[in-house]
Amino acid sequence: MRNKITRNSTVAFVLLTLTFVLYPLLVDTEESYLVYFFFMCFIYVAMAQGWNLVAGYAGQASFGQHAFFGLGAYVTAITWKAGWTGFLDPVAMILSGAGAALLAMIVGVALLAKLRGDYFALGTLGLGEILRVVFTQGGKLTGGPVGLLLPSSSYESLGPYYFIALAIALSAFLFVWLLMRSRIGLALVAIREDEQAAACNGIHVLKFKILAFATGAFFSGLCGSIYGYFLFHIHPLGFFSLNWALLPVLMTVLGGIGTLYGPILGAFVLTGVFELANIYIPEIHPIFSGLFVILVMLYLPQGIMSLGGKDVAKRILPFISGISKQSERR
Amino acid sequence: MSAASAFIQILINGILFGSMYGVAAIGLSLIFGSMQIVFIAQGAVIILASYFTYWVFTLTSLDPFFCLLLCLPFFMALGWGFYVGLFHKVSAAGKNPSLLLAFGLMVLLENLMSFVWTPNPRAVNTWYTAVGLSLGPVQISFTRLMVFLISIASAGLVFLFMKKTLWGKAVRGASEDMRAASLLGISPRRVNSLTFSIGIGLAGIAGVCTSTTYPFDPYFGFLFSLKALIAVAFGGLGSVGGALMGGILLGLLEGVGSYLISGGWADAISYAAFLLVIMWRPQGVFAKATRAV
Repeated sequence: MRNKITRNSTVAFVLLTLTFVLYPLLVDTEESYLVYFFFMCFIYVAMAQGWNLVAGYAGQASFGQHAFFGLGAYVTAITWKAGWTGFLDPVAMILSGAGAALLAMIVGVALLAKLRGDYFALGTLGLGEILRVVFTQGGKLTGGPVGLLLPSSSYESLGPYYFIALAIALSAFLFVWLLMRSRIGLALVAIREDEQAAACNGIHVLKFKILAFATGAFFSGLCGSIYGYFLFHIHPLGFFSLNWALLPVLMTVLGGIGTLYGPILGAFVLTGVFELANIYIPEIHPIFSGLFVILVMLYLPQGIMSLGGKDVAKRILPFISGISKQSERR
Repeated sequence: MSAASAFIQILINGILFGSMYGVAAIGLSLIFGSMQIVFIAQGAVIILASYFTYWVFTLTSLDPFFCLLLCLPFFMALGWGFYVGLFHKVSAAGKNPSLLLAFGLMVLLENLMSFVWTPNPRAVNTWYTAVGLSLGPVQISFTRLMVFLISIASAGLVFLFMKKTLWGKAVRGASEDMRAASLLGISPRRVNSLTFSIGIGLAGIAGVCTSTTYPFDPYFGFLFSLKALIAVAFGGLGSVGGALMGGILLGLLEGVGSYLISGGWADAISYAAFLLVIMWRPQGVFAKATRAV
């Protein structure tokens, strides 16, 4: 039974990925609204999956992903301006991700060793807000409050963006999937369930927490990089906006925190709802979005995956049972 | 004006303004104490109260400080409604949903205000808005002084309530250990709805105060929530006096920081101080040092 369901979901996943790969080849990427929509979805999927690893699996809820997103965008812009990298340069993207991961490691040593639970969440929130001020006051290097303008004449088509974002989302998914099948994944879940017990069993708690935190930051940095290339204008208010921290959190919880498919589901549903509201009820769209969040938390606090997916999720990933058991106990 | 008196002026302004952070922080701290959630929509509620005051003032030209008497029961009822209608149900599902619920509420309130009252900044302008009192070389704005007095008075009332009444005792007990408190017959539902209505009522007071001293717009609230959060961390969670002192300390820090370095860095300074405090003195700046566990 387990094998059958695993096979089914794998088949569905591969088919879906193939559809996404083939889709832009069939339509005109410049005309199709869906290509842009999926591009945004992929970015959110990667951000949400990164946060899911940190908060859902390792149990360290961070509210500072916007720090890494913004940093990634700025690394991309600054290296391009300096002439070290070019347009849609993989080197720049890797650098952006690595820079974000490096910051996460440095900050993580201090924050993760000292702070737990809410205090860690608030600490990371503070980090993001500090970075915004630092980049606003950064003078020539960061362009101050106006930010950096990149040569937008490099833009040719939405196609490359689409495929890069798809690749980032896919690699985030595959990375988390592989990680959670390894000993590292077991260690992370052990830390989430009971830190002291994990430490007693010889798990280097801080090391694994930092690993998860840096991985999440790496994917946020990548997303910031590609979104920076897309907008051609990196400014502190937009790229260090708290939305980049809160929306992935919302998507993950909406889809199902601590599940592999939850963040993907949440990212697509929430982006879809927000975009539809933006098209059909533009005047009251933000009000509606707030209301939607409230309704979801009222009636579906454990996420979409908990609906029919409780058993399925259990079979796809045995260690999720910890979370579903918790919800059953309540 | 000499440098010394300018500095004193900054200190006084910092204290006066910080007391407003303090009132917001007390509400946040109470809600955190009993529910263990950071009520991030606090700032949006504060701005809602500011609009309420503005609205009443513009329509009926009722004095803003008098409007406090109208505002307080309304917002206490609103807080009770928040708990009974929203948070009571969701708190059973865990912490993340409650936090996100508060976030959704914040987005909803902000955009509702911007829809109803337009996103343009508003201010309540009365005949005494520009009146200042001179104490030697130092100027004190009348409205800010009023704000300070109201803040101290409301903090004092909450403090007395917590220390002297049975209800207050129940709230203190619940914030120490909800499980043990409920074993002793304290109803979590009642305590939570009480703290919510006091917390939101305090947000109403802070909102009236904001409207008389500063121009505000619908999105100003989030910043207020963050400031209140920092003040709570300074004062140590769950302490009424600490939250007020934390607010004043934050006001001082911002005033002195923007005077000595530059206005643009003021926020970074307060967040950096916030990080330092939660890392090395999580029990708050004013608490007696406890043994590290």
